[in-house]
Amino acid sequence: MKKEKLFLSEYEHKELFRKRIYRFLPVLSILLLLCLWLLASSNPMSRFPSPAGVWERYLKILEKPIKDLGLLGHIWASLKRVFIALAFAWTLGISFGILIGWNKKANAIFGPIFTAFRAVPPLAWVPLVTMWFGIGEFPKVLIVFVGALMPVVVNTQAGISNVQREYLDIGTIFHANGRQMLFEIAIPSALDAIFAGIRNSTSAGWMVVLAAEMLGGKSGVGFLIVRGMDSGDYELCLLSMICIGVVGYLLAIVIQLLERIICPWTTKKSN
Amino acid sequence: MDNEKIKLRLEHISQSYIVNDQIFDAAVDVSMEVRDSEFLVILGPGRCGKTILLNMIAGLEKPADGKIRLDGEDIQGSDERIGMVFQKRALMPWKTVMENVEFGLKIKRMAKAERRKIARKYIDLVGLQGFEKSYPDELSGGMKQRVSIARAYANNPEILLMDEPFGALDAQTRYAMEEEVQRIWQTEKRTVIFVTNNIEEAIYLADKIVLLTSCPAHVKAVYDVDLPRPRNTIDPKFLQIRKKISENTDLAL
Repeated sequence: MKKEKLFLSEYEHKELFRKRIYRFLPVLSILLLLCLWLLASSNPMSRFPSPAGVWERYLKILEKPIKDLGLLGHIWASLKRVFIALAFAWTLGISFGILIGWNKKANAIFGPIFTAFRAVPPLAWVPLVTMWFGIGEFPKVLIVFVGALMPVVVNTQAGISNVQREYLDIGTIFHANGRQMLFEIAIPSALDAIFAGIRNSTSAGWMVVLAAEMLGGKSGVGFLIVRGMDSGDYELCLLSMICIGVVGYLLAIVIQLLERIICPWTTKKSN
Repeated sequence: MDNEKIKLRLEHISQSYIVNDQIFDAAVDVSMEVRDSEFLVILGPGRCGKTILLNMIAGLEKPADGKIRLDGEDIQGSDERIGMVFQKRALMPWKTVMENVEFGLKIKRMAKAERRKIARKYIDLVGLQGFEKSYPDELSGGMKQRVSIARAYANNPEILLMDEPFGALDAQTRYAMEEEVQRIWQTEKRTVIFVTNNIEEAIYLADKIVLLTSCPAHVKAVYDVDLPRPRNTIDPKFLQIRKKISENTDLAL
């Protein structure tokens, strides 16, 4: 026991050093990317927007909103659609995933149809959805919902149907009934798989909303890109792209934090 | 006549599986008797038969033939009076030590305060006080097995099945755990059926050893071990029994 502690402290030293390096590496890569960007845009023939140009575009949009919305306003417009769609996708997707993962009959009935639906990209729904619901807020949310639903269902179903035999054996030994088997054993054991689904659905939702906005809308980051393209304002396009990347990154961090709170055991492994 | 009551009786148990369209016999006509509060060790070489026998007693699988009687009654499926400690421990990684130990009681819908109290008693008994809030992945192999033992005891079974519980542990931890199991068995008298392929472990722990043959498993011999406890593994009497059993054991292939 003592030996182990001694070893750990040495290990911790190394770990500390390693952590510092790992904190530094992302900064390095961002700086490198900026250099590359400068290099690419310094050639006057390339017409590639320069970092300075994008920065100026950023200052300009602060003063002069597009369609009454500032940059943050457009980001929020996109995010709102994603959040509403995700709320429904997670609730329905997890429930449906549990149903077809746990119940063999349900899987036999719904599985094949679902697999076929999965193959259809969310944007393929645009024409039909537009025909039915026009181009308002609801059709966009609906398309994001379709895109975000699939990963949640697939991962939840996989997690539930792959619950390890030994955990179920424990349930049998202790006389657990079907409900207890599901809620005490199968669902918690599938939580990390469910979270993988939640992660994928968030990034899918964020991508689909931008595409949906590009196809018709008056707000959102996707709309900004189309606006930039139509008016030859490539600084605006690139600025929007950077915003998309940053927001996507922040979303991933939020989901990671959420996972740490809900599944503390996954981060507490000794090795 | 033996004045101790027979707790569990296996009568002509057989089990076979179909593997690649061929019938594979795992156990053939196994009969044995386990007395109340006895520490019975099922010793056998190789990999077949032993775990299957325990799984059948635990109700995890159904014997192809034969009967299992607990207190004279046939049992079918899992029974609340039988608890089990698995070789792979099977602790739930999403539950803390406390939640793992109280799991059986929670399934029985016992009130939280009450089940916590019982679980705490057994966590203390296996020497894990202070680790109640740890997750299994934070514990060492020996500690995990202690949790698994506490979980089985907390449910207050009359018979405790232990399936090669120390097979995955290093030698040192294994010796320590053998002593622990003996100590716990002496404080909390229960009938224990313990499966192992280690002769020394068997003689160290057992009141009675049932020696099985290699595949398919059937009972080859039964030995009573009446050495005083705690036993000394280099006591000449110990070594004598060891030699006798060793010479009678099939080689594992």
